[in-house]
Amino acid sequence: MKKSPEFDYLNCVSCGICAQACPVSALGMKKEGKSGKYRNVFPELVNDRCIGCGTCARSCPMEAIEMKEVTEE
Amino acid sequence: MTSFAGKILRVDLGTGKAESLKVPEEVYEAVLSGKGLEAWYLYKHIPAGADPLGPDNILAFACGALCGTGAFLTGRWTVACKSPLTGGWGDANCGGLFAPAIKQCGYDAIFVSGMAEKPVYLYCDGKNAELRDASKYWGMDAMEAEKALHEDLDGACRKKPCIACIGLSGEKLSLISGICNEGGRIAARSGVGAVMGSKRLKAVVLAGSLPMRSADPDKIKALSKELGRKLLKMTLPSGLGVFIGFGGRMMGHLPYMPMDGALTSYMFREWGTQANTSLAITSGDGPLKNWAGTPKDVRRMDMVYNPEHINKIETAKYHCYSCPLGCGGKLNIRGRKYVEFDETHKPEYETIEAFGPLLMNWSLDSIYQLNELLNRAGMDTISAGNTVAWAIECYENGILTNEQTDGLELSWGNTEAILALVKKMVAREGFGDAIADGVKRASERFGGKEYAMHIGGQEPGMHDARNDPQLGVHFVAEPAPGKHTVGMGIEYGAMSLCDICSWAPPAKLHPKKEDLEDTETLAYVSKANACYTMLVDGAGGCYYGQMMGVHMWKLVEYLNAAEGWDYDGDHYMEIGERIQTLRQLFNIKQGIDPASVKLPKRMLGEPALSSGPLKGVTLEKNREQVSSHWRAFGWDDKTGVPLKGTVERLGIDRLTEVDAG
Repeated sequence: MKKSPEFDYLNCVSCGICAQACPVSALGMKKEGKSGKYRNVFPELVNDRCIGCGTCARSCPMEAIEMKEVTEE
Repeated sequence: MTSFAGKILRVDLGTGKAESLKVPEEVYEAVLSGKGLEAWYLYKHIPAGADPLGPDNILAFACGALCGTGAFLTGRWTVACKSPLTGGWGDANCGGLFAPAIKQCGYDAIFVSGMAEKPVYLYCDGKNAELRDASKYWGMDAMEAEKALHEDLDGACRKKPCIACIGLSGEKLSLISGICNEGGRIAARSGVGAVMGSKRLKAVVLAGSLPMRSADPDKIKALSKELGRKLLKMTLPSGLGVFIGFGGRMMGHLPYMPMDGALTSYMFREWGTQANTSLAITSGDGPLKNWAGTPKDVRRMDMVYNPEHINKIETAKYHCYSCPLGCGGKLNIRGRKYVEFDETHKPEYETIEAFGPLLMNWSLDSIYQLNELLNRAGMDTISAGNTVAWAIECYENGILTNEQTDGLELSWGNTEAILALVKKMVAREGFGDAIADGVKRASERFGGKEYAMHIGGQEPGMHDARNDPQLGVHFVAEPAPGKHTVGMGIEYGAMSLCDICSWAPPAKLHPKKEDLEDTETLAYVSKANACYTMLVDGAGGCYYGQMMGVHMWKLVEYLNAAEGWDYDGDHYMEIGERIQTLRQLFNIKQGIDPASVKLPKRMLGEPALSSGPLKGVTLEKNREQVSSHWRAFGWDDKTGVPLKGTVERLGIDRLTEVDAG
């Protein structure tokens, strides 16, 4: 079963460590925050390159990323 | 295991050879990475008397020790070389994603020597490092070149590359040009862009994806999580920016400027560094009318540069790598007066101050245009602003005529003329070409030296030493003179350095007059500031982390966790002292006479201002304070040359004998 990152945006500080750690550039700081006054950008999957390696989750200092199993189409 | 990659990349553009070299562990122990590693290598390998724009000069790109460990606020990369602007040590520092990209290629630093025959770019992906033809990118501005490289390399790299490149100013060897990354963010100071241009190195492209490590990742995560949670909780109601100018007025009446690291962090997070502009205008921190004006000259200008105006057109915020603050932003500027671009980075305080109050320019829209124009060209806004201010004052006083300025009416606040002149500087056309190498050279050619604000050849950052005499010491004593980022007396209290360093004087919340005048105690304040800044640079840290103070951004704990060491603050401050002494030795080797570096008369208070918060302020003790600062460092207090005993105590004599291999 393939795994994919799931983000807890309430605990994310937008530091970008996960996106830079990703060895295949599957993450981008592209998701725009819609709640709250901060117009921050948050990480999200920006292409289909994710290999489910979990590097992003291990790198996150805020422990705001969890690798969840996904069903491959 | 430590956080260091353990290797450097050495590239000779003359031969086209790129080789990977191992760095002995004792070097990292002595100077960490970042600016420390650069100081060690450049001091050893740039020959005395080397032409800054010749093949012997070495251009270094380095990330810090903590970069890639998960430590917050450690995404800065430093460029260093022999400066063509000052003839001595030159360095500049920038955020973005380039710092971790260096480490992900397996290196702590990249050193580039020689000159290429035709334009090239350096490509490195962690396995191979090679020079490639860059003829098609030569002549493009920094953003166009970065975009074109991304498009051309799309699909060829597993990891999206990070790119540092020069714009037209660097290509045309303007001595006030810098190196850009992430769409026009610049490592701007010391003329590093001209050195890259002289080597015909258009860009450095890094596409490595090697893992970055540390000794104790769990401890680092815990430290970062603690800081991140504090910042997440730190919120205030929006719209408070309108009051910042009033706050500055109050601060201008106080005998000292109280600063708080947490509050400063909040301001950067909410508005970015531009929050400082209205405060600087009213408090005496920011220079007005080429450093000779008073708040009376710019009455209510703080409302024009109110940070809320800029926030209103911000479309997105962005963060440097590993930064939870996020002081950067993108602005939608389409259709605004004077503006030829659709968007720009949120202008930094230094840029707004240098092209706003310094020139008596009341148009915020023109600042957006100038910001984007100079970011694309890769020209330092601090140096460019100071140079335009000199030109205006010369014109107003009849030193420059209409014929010399190509018909431009360079009067105070003439926005159209300022815009036209900067365009000419970027393109190196006519009068713009004549002044595109900074204010020192311009004043040597045209006269008006009394209006030329430079320190040892470099234009000062936009903070007035009359408001913070300690800054005046750093402006002069810093091996790259005129830089405002090495230490500020007004931030000393917020940093709490006395809590990690046994010899750092205690920071008093309510200092008495005699505390502010005790030269010997102040010498250790300025030494502590400089040592800590060098330590931060060796770690690859951000100055805004530094300003948070040691209790919020726990640098000592971070370094111990990253390297598996158990050193105290005194040990780390000695590393900072070693880096600073190496940089000073670099200057001595290159024939710089530190005693000849002086503050401009205007900044010394000659003549003193007649009104405002700096009314009557003079810095007659500056020279004495610089001598005491040198003495505290163990350098000769008359010449500024590090004493033999100091060099031996810091182990620099042994350190310079080891080499990478």
